[in-house]
Amino acid sequence: MTALSSPESNIGARVRAFLLSQESILLLIMLAAVLILSTQNSRFLTVDNLLGQGRFLAEIGLIALPMTFIIITGGIDLSVGSIFGLTAVLLGYFWRNLGVPLEFAVVLAIACGTFAGFVNGLFIVRVGISPLIMTLATLALYRGLASGISQGRSVSNYPEWFYQMGQGNFAGVPTQLWILLIAAIISGIVLTRTTFGRTLYAIGNNELATRFSGLPVNRVKLLIYTFSGFMSALAGYVFVSRVTTTRSDMGTGLELDVIAAVVVGGTSIFGGRGSILGTMIGVVLIQLLKNGLALTGVTGDSTIVVIGIVLIVAVLVNDFIQSRRGV
Amino acid sequence: MSKKMFLVITVLVAMLALFISPAIAQEDRWDGADDLEVNPLECGMAGMEMDATAEADMMATEEMDAEMAATEEAMATEEMDGEMMGGYDGGQAVNAPDLAGQPITLVDVPKLVGIGYFNATSLGMQQAAEELGNVTVTTDAPTEANIDEQITFIDNYITQGVNGILFAANDPVAIAPVLRRALEQGIHVVGYDANSEPDAREWFVNQAEFNGIAKSMIDSLVAEKGEDASFGIVTSTFTTPNQARWIAEMWAYASQCYPELTWLETVEAQEDAVLSFNQATTLLNKYAGDIDGLFGMTSVATPSSADAVTQAGLCGEVAVVGLATPNAMKPYVNDGCVQSVVLWNPIDLGYAAVYVMRAVVDGELTPESTSVMAGRLGELQVVNGSEILLGAPFIFNAENINDFDF
Repeated sequence: MTALSSPESNIGARVRAFLLSQESILLLIMLAAVLILSTQNSRFLTVDNLLGQGRFLAEIGLIALPMTFIIITGGIDLSVGSIFGLTAVLLGYFWRNLGVPLEFAVVLAIACGTFAGFVNGLFIVRVGISPLIMTLATLALYRGLASGISQGRSVSNYPEWFYQMGQGNFAGVPTQLWILLIAAIISGIVLTRTTFGRTLYAIGNNELATRFSGLPVNRVKLLIYTFSGFMSALAGYVFVSRVTTTRSDMGTGLELDVIAAVVVGGTSIFGGRGSILGTMIGVVLIQLLKNGLALTGVTGDSTIVVIGIVLIVAVLVNDFIQSRRGV
Repeated sequence: MSKKMFLVITVLVAMLALFISPAIAQEDRWDGADDLEVNPLECGMAGMEMDATAEADMMATEEMDAEMAATEEAMATEEMDGEMMGGYDGGQAVNAPDLAGQPITLVDVPKLVGIGYFNATSLGMQQAAEELGNVTVTTDAPTEANIDEQITFIDNYITQGVNGILFAANDPVAIAPVLRRALEQGIHVVGYDANSEPDAREWFVNQAEFNGIAKSMIDSLVAEKGEDASFGIVTSTFTTPNQARWIAEMWAYASQCYPELTWLETVEAQEDAVLSFNQATTLLNKYAGDIDGLFGMTSVATPSSADAVTQAGLCGEVAVVGLATPNAMKPYVNDGCVQSVVLWNPIDLGYAAVYVMRAVVDGELTPESTSVMAGRLGELQVVNGSEILLGAPFIFNAENINDFDF
């Protein structure tokens, strides 16, 4: 829009731009899905069920935020599920085996998870290993550490207050949903309103040019992988609090669920494009589909077929919008 | 740059050292075993009969108790006995609707779907439902044994509204909160195959007591390879509850009865056929010449181990003993490579679970019960407070394996 256009047409253009945007189309798809599913089962569109689903999606949602940042830069983090499991195991280990007070054990375990993310970042930035290879390696490494430390044993019987995070409510809404909401808002603002956020898009579009522009590419990348470690660790803590036990195989395959949600949300796997709002819609859409289909009597194996189809459709819609914008 | 590299490597090594040091610390426990209390049976090959006698004794005691309860003076003693024996420690469905004799809808959530074992339990459930005529049961579960997904499945069925949930837990603790929620909503909960915390369900159908299976496994190997055999174990993961329990009981029974046995190594193979084959082959190569036997702890690991032994041309030299379904083992048993396969009948297990659920709904199985009638299986005993014992383990061998088809 040029400065000559009137305020009305400016707003009109913005509205049109929004309606044509990725997020609004996703929202439409989600609304349609919700409508169809709610006609199939009367228990789907109830506050109880929806809040319950909120509890289930929080962990994936938390990790999807840094994953959006990373994928926007053209990177990937496959080790999130392993960091998630490692944090869970360490939490139990510090508390039960080393006798650390539970409050500190939580902080310490999250710190270790954050450090695990930092190590990913360090190797990617300093040694120049591709993120795919580096995090594929730590996917195995961190999982191995988790099984080694836990010695195959699970730790449970936590005190009552510990379950507040995963099973409790705050103002009638599951505690972890509040955390997800706050984290999503902060991430959204950081991505759209700060230099840091713009740098992420710049790296995704052309890393070399970004470097030559004098932007701190290395520091930014180190930060997002560390952030990814932190959020995976936080999600691990939320999960332990929800399921009341720690096991070394927790979070196996989680990375694929997270990446699927981010990609459904319109973030390009090639980098340079994506939004937090889209990612959140992606997370919610997948969870509601799983839940809604299960409630209407679709069995588990058919549900994952539907999720696969949704992924393909989402990517096709992305490409379609992209090409229209190109014209 | 090189300084930074040095720093990075130092940090990594320090981290590894920190993490691995606790892992190295050895303990008096075999890899893959849990650290719960063990209760090994008495030594000797005539174990199965002895086990049955012990049960019969227990039955007699319980019957006596029941008779005593009839007289009011004996009430106090009965209560004390109950506490000493553990008493009923299951949970209760809250305000469950009275559906005695009415049609009920059940959902069955095993660890995962698409494997022979749970297909067999599912088949048994359908048989029971057909016999009873007033039960509808659907099996639905994740395609991988994933604790989080299993919880989600159960949660969805609670929301959808069913009369009862049958489950086989991927993790006894993690599954408990969602099962308690089901009980609070008035949904009956009965477990089979893999237990949860006792208060999170009403009853658990125990396919075979852990010490019984452990004894059968060790005895079978000793019968084939002698009291000084060396062997390796192929299990699913060190955390899987049943496998960990069996290994702990095998360790306890062997330490007590066959101290000369050499335990080489336990390897993890998920429940994956290719991985199991590779792990078994690795064991055979690593301990070539010193290994006399392989234990397969899962229905996937056992046939894969037998396959590994066959392909290595070690039939007869290396014995394979394990838990598996007969169909998967027929080729190896028929060509003589495997002599004994230990298991219970999973069809009966699923069948019993449905009968137990029906008895709970009908009010025939209460915390005071000492047994329950389960159709063609007859009367099954209550053990360990709130468990129902399917029976003694069954050993398939060349003489009988062809009579079974599952």
